[in-house]
Amino acid sequence: MRAVAEAFRAAGVTGRLHARDIDTGGVVDVGGDEPVVLASVYKVPLLVAFYREAAAGRLDPAERITLPAGGRSPGPTGTSVMLDDVTLSLRDLALLMITVSDNGAADTIYDYVGRDTVNAAMAAFGLTRTRVTGNGRDLFAGLLDDAAAADLGDLWERLDEPGLSGRLGALDPTRTSASTPAEMTALLALIWRDEAAPPDACMHMRRMLGLQVWPHRLSSGFPFDDVHVAGKTGTLPTIRNEIGVVEYPDGGRYAVAVFTRSLLPVAVLPEADAVIGTAARLAVEELRRRP
Amino acid sequence: MNLVGHLSCFVAVAEELHFGRAADRLGMAQPPLSQRIQRLERELGVKLFDRSSRHVALTAAGELLLGEARDLLARADRITALAERVRDGEALRAGVPAGLGGGVVAALIAAYRERRPGVRLDLRELPTTTQVRALLDGSLDVGVLRHPCETRGLSLGPLLDQRIGVLLRAPAPPELALADLAGRDLVLFPRDEAPGSHDDWLAACRRHGFAPPTVHEAHPPFALGLVLAGTAVAFSPRVPDTAEAVWRPLRGEPLAWRTSCAWRNDTVGPAVADFTSVASAVFRREAAMTEPGPRRRVVPRPASGFLA
Repeated sequence: MRAVAEAFRAAGVTGRLHARDIDTGGVVDVGGDEPVVLASVYKVPLLVAFYREAAAGRLDPAERITLPAGGRSPGPTGTSVMLDDVTLSLRDLALLMITVSDNGAADTIYDYVGRDTVNAAMAAFGLTRTRVTGNGRDLFAGLLDDAAAADLGDLWERLDEPGLSGRLGALDPTRTSASTPAEMTALLALIWRDEAAPPDACMHMRRMLGLQVWPHRLSSGFPFDDVHVAGKTGTLPTIRNEIGVVEYPDGGRYAVAVFTRSLLPVAVLPEADAVIGTAARLAVEELRRRP
Repeated sequence: MNLVGHLSCFVAVAEELHFGRAADRLGMAQPPLSQRIQRLERELGVKLFDRSSRHVALTAAGELLLGEARDLLARADRITALAERVRDGEALRAGVPAGLGGGVVAALIAAYRERRPGVRLDLRELPTTTQVRALLDGSLDVGVLRHPCETRGLSLGPLLDQRIGVLLRAPAPPELALADLAGRDLVLFPRDEAPGSHDDWLAACRRHGFAPPTVHEAHPPFALGLVLAGTAVAFSPRVPDTAEAVWRPLRGEPLAWRTSCAWRNDTVGPAVADFTSVASAVFRREAAMTEPGPRRRVVPRPASGFLA
């Protein structure tokens, strides 16, 4: 769609989009088969694998576990920034992982589920281009190593050094957790059609994705009180992603995956966040116009 | 077997997914094209296409080999181009951005001629976005880029900042702040030429209290026209004052043109290295470019934090 490509250009990003009508199978595709860096979107395949393991009886989602105050994975939200020991059930950790992108919670879920289990679950769905290579802690360490940076603040401040972002493996889909927009909308469609796991597990996943707090990306494109938006963001330096499902009151349900990369190496770039919503709306409106 | 020739047939069919159209594109008839594909499949021992009466589709093996085949063809093109250049005498194809100024360009050519008298310098004025594409596809040897821009696959020379001031109709005070320009229109280089620095500068303008009602995208002569008409101001490196239009520095130096030489990762040779060192020296001397300023400050926020 030319309008989507134009919106990406005007926002100063390169963008890839795939939108899928969950019920008719109609699609809008703007580079939807290109490899993309998942960033925190990897938490959705992880969530699906978690509930499949639970359904198979290999883990108990209600098991309460304690994450000690020291040593939780770094991140800007949730258990990563809490001060004291945290005791929660595994599924409430999954809730924090999805609703606020909690890295401490996500890495705990990852330890329980395992990387190979996530990849095997994706392969079982035929999502062969979706590969999870590591957890948040791995990604963080790799990012600082590649940049020879002391911490993330240091890396951000140096990100305007030309050439630096090209050296970061975490931003290269061949060297980090990656997928394609089309495979991510396929995964969402499975969750929304109760096919990713047993129906009650899919219901829990849909609930979590619907409780995500961030308003600035996918959700911002649908400023309509009667439209429901569920999603999961993904963020790394210059990378802004979100995948989600938009549900209209007439029953229309659309899975959308938008992956962007900005030219400007700045942390706060509202137009790059907003174009995720704008592009998604253009694609969904196109799908809704079709007979 | 002529592997390059056969692979170009493979790529054409893979892209068209239609033997007739691929044959048209290659300027050959369809039967020999089919024979070549069959020969290639025999040679490689894998089936590249699934052919039914109506459809041609890539097999998994075909998908896998397509990228490599394209890569090999691109390399073969580069060999031909390189041979042509060797035959026609050594030349260095170099790009520079608009707005460097005639004096700087002349000094660059003179200094390079002195350093490398045997190399013909083929210098072209090209926007940053075009240069990046041309460097990656091998049609340019070395470029001078305005940052930020996409630099994957490129190596960069030293970074230099050129201070940017404002060009406005006389009379004007000796120095201005960006906020003093409030209410004026702005003439800026076209965004398509270097969207990174275009957006960067507009963000800096807003940050410092200058939100131009209209942004005209234009090059210097037209920009000067709008400035002389009194409706707009333009940004540029220092230029000589005239009776009607004057250049003034901006207080706090909020705008800079960040520049570096660039070349493709795998192509650095002595001609490129000499261009980079000559250009850096000329830019410092003739264009008053300097080391980049102090590191910027970034205060992380949750929504833009690590793995949000």
